[in-house]
Amino acid sequence: MVKIIKLKKRIESFQLDIKGLFLQDKKVHGLIGNNGSGKSTLIKLITGLMRPDQGTIDLGGLRSKDITFTTQRPYMLHDTVYHNLIYPLMIRNQMPSKEETEKWLEQCGLTGKEQQFAPSLSSGERQKLSFARALIFKPKLVFIDETMANMDLESIGVFESIITNIQKEDPITWVIVSHQPAHIYNLCQEVHMMEAGSHLFSGTPKETGYFMRERHEKQWSY
Amino acid sequence: MLVLSNFHLNLSPETLETIWLTMKLGFVSTFLSSLFGIPLGLLLERRDFFGKRIILRVNRTLMGFPPVVVGLMVYLLLMRRGPFGELSLLFSFPAMVIAQLFIITPIVSGMVCTAAKNAAPEIRTFAISMNASRSQTFFLLIKEMKHDIYFALATSFGRSISEVGAVMIVGGNIQYKTRTMTTAISLMRNKGDYSEAITLGVVLLILSFCIQTLMDTLKRYENNGENY
Ligand SMILES: Nc1ncnc2c1ncn2[C@@H]1O[C@H](COP(=O)(O)OP(=O)(O)OP(=O)(O)O)[C@@H](O)[C@H]1O
Ligand SMILES: [Mg+2]
Repeated sequence: MVKIIKLKKRIESFQLDIKGLFLQDKKVHGLIGNNGSGKSTLIKLITGLMRPDQGTIDLGGLRSKDITFTTQRPYMLHDTVYHNLIYPLMIRNQMPSKEETEKWLEQCGLTGKEQQFAPSLSSGERQKLSFARALIFKPKLVFIDETMANMDLESIGVFESIITNIQKEDPITWVIVSHQPAHIYNLCQEVHMMEAGSHLFSGTPKETGYFMRERHEKQWSY
Repeated sequence: MLVLSNFHLNLSPETLETIWLTMKLGFVSTFLSSLFGIPLGLLLERRDFFGKRIILRVNRTLMGFPPVVVGLMVYLLLMRRGPFGELSLLFSFPAMVIAQLFIITPIVSGMVCTAAKNAAPEIRTFAISMNASRSQTFFLLIKEMKHDIYFALATSFGRSISEVGAVMIVGGNIQYKTRTMTTAISLMRNKGDYSEAITLGVVLLILSFCIQTLMDTLKRYENNGENY
């Protein structure tokens, strides 16, 4: 279990302050909250991109090389689609298997574009490739920060089923940031809500629905 | 026009030797400067450490500093009674390389640092997401910024072959040893016969044109193929 305790971080006028937030292993967690509520900042703190001012983040025995994240604007190496996909394997001295890479390229809808210059992909294609690149080395904790924002409905469906399949076969821990209720409710077992830098609520999707209804946030009714 | 009427392209062995020596100086100086300049440029971008602002300012100052003064300083260091006089390096090829290192390294590090300010944060974030090691991240930065780096190296090479003051002072313009194209031109050895000087001038012009073409190509490549 990932335990975040008394975490504080100040960035200019923004203050992140989390008393306690727990992420159970091998579950799909949703992270929701308005723009600027601190979701990306929290992810940066957990993944070590940023240092907290105070507090502890206990990764519960996970090594940092088992953790990965995708960003809102994924970086594409100035190289081919194929080399972007296998980069995490190359730096781990693993040989990519042909079936594996072909499977991922097909799921990304990038079959036939292996040799294309990756920065020239469309924004949705880049997001799909970054998703595949993050999963190909079999991490144990994955943060998906709005990486599905520009994907078409079909691709979203594909990636939802990738997540569901991984959870069936060899479950890992996911933290998914999304502004789309359907996403969160389809995928997540637990939802955590941020507001103005604080952790406001954690619960099942059903509980989240009730909580949101109380707050008159109709689009989130479950 | 009397001068030009008896001009003929002079490609005597001495002239060719001078061209070859200049090219060698350009390659050696640029190569050695990149060994120091690229890591220094990345370090200066990376994060704050004590004295970083001063180093950056010194670096920027040296980028536009008159080479002839650098030549003077290196001369004072290398002269027989100077601190490194025992090495007897003055008026040799290594002395010219040393002087050019002081002139070119700041160009490499300054240009790499400026480029890294734009590109490196995203690349580092990516490297962290992939759990790349420190050395893997370093090589990834170099690979991803390779066009910026080529650009800095081409600029440095151009500066090296066109520089006169420093190589004149520490090299001494000795034929077959330290005579470069620019110092040869500035002396105009055979008074009245300008053909060697003009030949060298034409060769320098062609070289500069080629370097500029290379840099334009790199610039174009840099802006191509991205879809953001
Ligand atoms: N480098 C920075 N400098 C100044 N302010 C920052 C910086 N980084 C983040 N912030 C501020 O911190 C707050 C939280 O940002 P964060 O990116 O975590 O929000 P978010 O919940 O991910 O929002 P979104 O849904 O729009 O992605 C914002 O108000 C932002 O302006
Ligand atoms: Mg965000």
